[in-house]
Amino acid sequence: MLEIKNLVCRYGKVTALKGISLKVPANSLVVLVGANGAGKSTTLRAISGLVPAASGSIRFNGEEISGRTASRILSLGIAHCPEGRRVFGQMTVLENLEVGCYLRKDAALIRQDIDHIFGLFPRLAERRKQVAGTLSGGEQQMLAIGRAMMSRPKLIMFDEPSLGLAPNIVSQTFDIIRGIRDSGTTVLMVEQNAFAALDMCNYAYLLEAGSMALEGPGERLINDPHVREAYLGAGLAHA
Amino acid sequence: MDQLLQHLANAVIVGGTYALLGIGLTLIFGIMRIVNFTHGELYAFGGYMMYFFAVVLGMNFYMSIAFAICAGMLLGAAIEFLLLRSKRGADIDTTMLIMIGAWIVLQNTEHLAWGSIAKSIDSPFAIEPVTMGPISLSRIRIFVLIVAVALIVATYVLINRTKLGKAMRATFQDSSTAALMGINTSAIYTITFGLGSALAAAAGALLGPVFVVTPTMGDLASLKAFAIVILGGLGNITGAVFGGFILAFVEEMGASYISSGYRDAMGFLIIIVVLLFRPTGLFARSERVG
Repeated sequence: MLEIKNLVCRYGKVTALKGISLKVPANSLVVLVGANGAGKSTTLRAISGLVPAASGSIRFNGEEISGRTASRILSLGIAHCPEGRRVFGQMTVLENLEVGCYLRKDAALIRQDIDHIFGLFPRLAERRKQVAGTLSGGEQQMLAIGRAMMSRPKLIMFDEPSLGLAPNIVSQTFDIIRGIRDSGTTVLMVEQNAFAALDMCNYAYLLEAGSMALEGPGERLINDPHVREAYLGAGLAHA
Repeated sequence: MDQLLQHLANAVIVGGTYALLGIGLTLIFGIMRIVNFTHGELYAFGGYMMYFFAVVLGMNFYMSIAFAICAGMLLGAAIEFLLLRSKRGADIDTTMLIMIGAWIVLQNTEHLAWGSIAKSIDSPFAIEPVTMGPISLSRIRIFVLIVAVALIVATYVLINRTKLGKAMRATFQDSSTAALMGINTSAIYTITFGLGSALAAAAGALLGPVFVVTPTMGDLASLKAFAIVILGGLGNITGAVFGGFILAFVEEMGASYISSGYRDAMGFLIIIVVLLFRPTGLFARSERVG
């Protein structure tokens, strides 16, 4: 569904991505793990058109999307749920969802989808008129996920969905993300919580200093000595 | 007492146009973080366009106002498109210098195009004032207030009740996330600058027939607009409306009961007081616009 080949991204003189390649097959959950500054968020930002690619190609369902505007990429079916949730804090829960489907014109279906999101997250339904900035971290995460789903994406990208959330909310968030994959939407997720991410994914990539260091099914990465040492904390009885 | 009522009525009348000026400026700052020194020139431009349509072309008075507002919107959008678009993300000092340059160019162009002699515009309103008890107000000023209030309400509805307004607020709060939602943030910036400029031009077009139009009329308007915006809190639309009326009230009271020579100084006096005690403005919230 999504295929990246030799993608290079630069911020000024700093090369954040040094020619990475990855594939996200349809209906799968692919994760991208790695340390801070490895280039995980940059990869997602390049896919959604926020960061220009210096070279390389990004194809979505066969169509080249690098160089396209963010709104064009979204309308092709790639939604991006950014790091830190980034809900619009001064707007209500309902307005946030409405902004999420900014490009859609099918009013009746939009109503239906909003009801669907509120069914999925009853806490948001209770707070639909409340400004998003007053929600708890977990509720904001639900809202950010709901907002990303409002565009009816084919591929949804999550950037650090567990960041800053209480442990019980984290597992709830991962359940929701698995549910999204199970309902037929492809997921690409960047996550620092490497063990949980590798455990739930179909396939994983390990990014180190802007290059792909390792790839494979989640289990294989979990059992890889290097990954265990560097990312999972060797000696912890995880597996 | 009668005199006080008259002064209050005067303050309300002037406050309407002040609020209009303030909203335009606060919108541009709140959404774009641009300190817009051309705001007063857009006000003057509105006045000259009013003169052009109503006097030079001899068009209908009301149509001329509408055309002058549209011309202001186009000029504002052009300024944003030509001067600011390529400088997105640049330091606030850089854009400030650009806007100061644009201000000087616009003002001198007005000198060149229209000469430095004041232009007057006739209005279709009768000279004799409307008298209600102890208050008497000129007809054109009542008309100006009504139009100003209508434009303020329209702006408020646009920002808070429409899809475009939602996109504007989202862009202001977090432009990169807004882009992820499919909002064309570049277009939002151009529209915002055009809208803010249209409101300044509206104030100029409305007050042109009340006073006269001169090339330097924008300078004081700019200063007052900044005063209003600082009073209300940068980027706060409701604050700008109150700021406009407060400034008008203070000026009127200061001019009547202290000294009329200090009319224009009064506003700046209260700004100093506000900045000393509430540096984020009277109506500040932690976030802006809306």
